[in-house]
Amino acid sequence: MMEFEGCSCFRQRLVLSTLSGKRVKIRNIRSKDDNPGLREFEASFIRLLDKVTNGTRIEINQTGTVLFYQPGLLYGGSVEHECHVQRSVGYYLEALLMLAPFMKTPLRAVLKGVTNDPTDPSVDLLKITAIPLMKTFGIDGDSLEIKVVKRGMAPGGGGEVHFTCPVRRSMKPVLLTDPGKIKRIRGTAFSVRVSPQMANRIVDAARSILNKFIPDIYIYTDHMKGLNSGKSPGFGLTLVAETVNGTFLGAEVMSPPQGQGDPVLPEDLGRNCAKLLLEEIYRGGCVDSTNQSLALLYMTLGQQDVSKTLLGPLSPYTVEFLRHIRDFFQIMFRIEPQKPGEDECKGGEKILMTCVGAGYSNISKSIK
Amino acid sequence: WKEGLAEKATEAYLRQQRAAPNLRKLVYGTVAEEEEEDSNNEEELGGLFKVSRPEKSKKIRGDAMDCSRFQPDSSHDWDQEEMLASIRDCFVTGKWDEDKD
Repeated sequence: MMEFEGCSCFRQRLVLSTLSGKRVKIRNIRSKDDNPGLREFEASFIRLLDKVTNGTRIEINQTGTVLFYQPGLLYGGSVEHECHVQRSVGYYLEALLMLAPFMKTPLRAVLKGVTNDPTDPSVDLLKITAIPLMKTFGIDGDSLEIKVVKRGMAPGGGGEVHFTCPVRRSMKPVLLTDPGKIKRIRGTAFSVRVSPQMANRIVDAARSILNKFIPDIYIYTDHMKGLNSGKSPGFGLTLVAETVNGTFLGAEVMSPPQGQGDPVLPEDLGRNCAKLLLEEIYRGGCVDSTNQSLALLYMTLGQQDVSKTLLGPLSPYTVEFLRHIRDFFQIMFRIEPQKPGEDECKGGEKILMTCVGAGYSNISKSIK
Repeated sequence: WKEGLAEKATEAYLRQQRAAPNLRKLVYGTVAEEEEEDSNNEEELGGLFKVSRPEKSKKIRGDAMDCSRFQPDSSHDWDQEEMLASIRDCFVTGKWDEDKD
């Protein structure tokens, strides 16, 4: 049994526990906080894990400061979940992306709640960066899809996202060492319950910065109306830079939730997002900073063969994830910094991550 | 203060050199260090109640926000021409290596 303290890396611990079959006990969850114990969104996350598994045992003490989690079998199938609005659907979806390929039956999840908020990676960002990444690991087919049916901004929510994913017996080892050059930039500017003109103003501002680098830019505008627009107003921009070798680097900015923080101008939001994309390009690598841990997990669970991936600087979240991979799977990566060439203008230092897969195979996948 | 600038520079350079191959240690080796400190500021009130004060540093470690987003490096100012130039070759419009076209 694995024991932890505190609620940091909550999802990592439960996801890795579910995949490895190791039981987890987490103590002292916000035990010194004025409002101790698990939050609503964490309880909602546990309920989601319970829905996609079979035979999971969960025990929580009265104050909610101690959690015992005994993972069941990853079952999958059709699941509908009301994601608590304190965190966006992306918080829940990130964990499902890690688990979905290892289910017994293909997962068809309907997630309801906040589709876009400033804290977590949005469903739009995961759709354009995580899905192509999953394909490089051999998870493909028509049924691999994230679909935003209804948009719901924080704090009200009211959005709906459909996620479907096929199951795989094992992960393909990968050699992602050369990201290649960026050939185009795509994006989506969306607005709900505000003037549709907002999206156009965002697009113009973002273009004014990105046009200096590359002419092939197309940013869609998406204005959902009526029932599909959720309960709160807002707007935002998601950008992705696509390279000739199939690397997708993403960035996004959302308007602050209604009634929280200062309002922003769509022009500022567009420019900020373009700069964030440049920052992401500067970091570089074959996987963008949001999806580092997803790629490292798939490498860990791959066939018993060498996998290599070039990354930008490791995010603090990824560093924690590497430690947890070591704790749960006893796998450590080789981490080699790659100094950029003298007269190259390709951004910052990169890191080459190498590991031998654990030879994890999906034993519960049904044979047809 | 100007004295020993060269020494300081070499020292800083050596420090950086040492830091580079230690990435693996940084990731996997620091866990043990984090667990020290603790257990010194618990007072007892009348021998019955323990005063528990939220410790800022501990909070950050144990109950940190669980979010995968990587905050951007604030030292990069993307309004500067030099910053823009530093990623020029990441695009197809930039300079290509000799062996590829």
